[in-house]
Amino acid sequence: MLAKLRREWPLPRVYATVLVVVFTGFAVVPLAWMLSSSIKNQADVFQLPIRWVPPKPAWFTYVEALGRYNFARYISNSLFVSAAITAISVLFSSLAGYGLAKYRFPGRDLLFLLVLATMMLPLEVILVPMFLITKQLRWLNTYQGLIVPMAVEAFGIFLMRQYVLGIPDTLIEAARIDGASEIAIFARVILPLCRPVLATLAIFSFRESWDLFMWPLIILTKDNLKTLPLGIALFENAYQSAYNELMAVAAVSLIPVTLLFFLFQRAFVQGIALTGLKE
Amino acid sequence: MRAVSRRAGRDGAAGFRLPPYGGWGIAFVLPAFLLLVVFRIYPILSAVAVSFTNYDLFSTPRFTGLDNYVYLATDPQFHQSLLASITYVAGVSIPTLVISLALALAFNERVPFRNLLRTGAFMPVVMTAVPVAVVWKFLFHPFGLVNVFLSKFGIDRINWLTDQSTAMPALIVVGIWRAVPYFMVIFLAGLQAIPKDYYEAASLDGASAVGRFRHITLPLLQRTTVLVIIMTVIIAMKAIMNPLIMTGGGPAGVTRVLPLLIYQTGFQYYRMGLASAMSVVMLLMVLVFTMWQLRLFRG
Repeated sequence: MLAKLRREWPLPRVYATVLVVVFTGFAVVPLAWMLSSSIKNQADVFQLPIRWVPPKPAWFTYVEALGRYNFARYISNSLFVSAAITAISVLFSSLAGYGLAKYRFPGRDLLFLLVLATMMLPLEVILVPMFLITKQLRWLNTYQGLIVPMAVEAFGIFLMRQYVLGIPDTLIEAARIDGASEIAIFARVILPLCRPVLATLAIFSFRESWDLFMWPLIILTKDNLKTLPLGIALFENAYQSAYNELMAVAAVSLIPVTLLFFLFQRAFVQGIALTGLKE
Repeated sequence: MRAVSRRAGRDGAAGFRLPPYGGWGIAFVLPAFLLLVVFRIYPILSAVAVSFTNYDLFSTPRFTGLDNYVYLATDPQFHQSLLASITYVAGVSIPTLVISLALALAFNERVPFRNLLRTGAFMPVVMTAVPVAVVWKFLFHPFGLVNVFLSKFGIDRINWLTDQSTAMPALIVVGIWRAVPYFMVIFLAGLQAIPKDYYEAASLDGASAVGRFRHITLPLLQRTTVLVIIMTVIIAMKAIMNPLIMTGGGPAGVTRVLPLLIYQTGFQYYRMGLASAMSVVMLLMVLVFTMWQLRLFRG
């Protein structure tokens, strides 16, 4: 019996299991606590002993919280802005990645170097000049100001270039001989072959844009343009003690990315694993 | 598109010839690079230019030479912020590196319920940044879950976010919590790229588990490790959300990390020149660190 246990559970496996269970607990407790608190009454939020599932779930918290500010507006703004950023950045990245991988023209290597150089650049460092440019374009408090400066992702260009490099040239040449235009080759030959990496890129890009906070914070003053993360911060500031409602709002804001994660788990995780390619 | 190829033809007549279809290549890369130049490259150069001026956003910028940098050299607030950033970066990146590697190795073992646990461990990455900050602020509330948990071990209530000695550690815990699953995934991808035969061969030669880790896993993970070090440091370096929402930089400025100070200087006090000078310093720090890491591991 003991011998069998020892064979089934060698020490490395025991250590691994303990480590994994402890960390996973640490990882999910905040999420669980958020959900649990979001269906409590405000008076019960700090109640002891802890009840993870309140006997009478206060679902009404969600209705109350979302009714407080212009949350419907913030949510639709966030959806629109994130979708636009994702669409533009995926289209431009795939075009540029294809151009860099399969065409020869003067300055190409220099352009690729620019991509590599800006890939690790923290946006926080250039917030001031980006704000100044956007101000010069008179794009403060506009949707284009929210979208266009964020719709370029050096990592996306890099990823697409690496992927397209793996597509054999003969496919492109064959299409040319068949009389396909260059745009048709891109749209009908290259893009369909890139489907997995496009999905990865789109998910990655949506997640990043759904999360944007500093950029909207500095360029927006108009309430009707605000995105969901700003709305949550606003709420947090105004209703310091309404923790149940705050958690409800936070939970709602997690829905789109969580949905993407569970629907496209492979592509989602792949997007992160691929950032490990950067060098 | 047509304009590009026609111009390419004309250049060809003048003795300079684009490679075949080169005009199309340029046309394809143009949209992305236009944005990249306007909103990434130009801002970097512009930050340097603005850092030599005094600019409040409303009156015209006034050239002041190195004044902003001289000011920063002796500004106690800037020094405190540098220290806060360095503490935060070291506090987050070193444990993250160790824990995420350990977890990746653990998930590579035959752990029960592996897929379920891995999904759970991954949840901090699925959560977006503002909800993370808001939820953790609530957890660190004096009556919050963290203190409730610690009270089981007889630890008295701690005012995590308002006490000067605990505010930074609290932020570091959140930083680690968020970063570990991300880098665990990167390490897992690196581990899966190592051919299984290497381990089998080493086992046949009688190498111990520790020996296999030291002589196969670590050397073959070196590229991944360098990358993870650089990325954890950059991610920690630019962290602003948690300090902004959880502590506002306090108490007494101990958590006012560099990006937060830059934001406050630029967008709350409208000292764009000074904020740009800080940005340039931060950019240089990131650059020097990255170069140093790459060189250290190349050699």
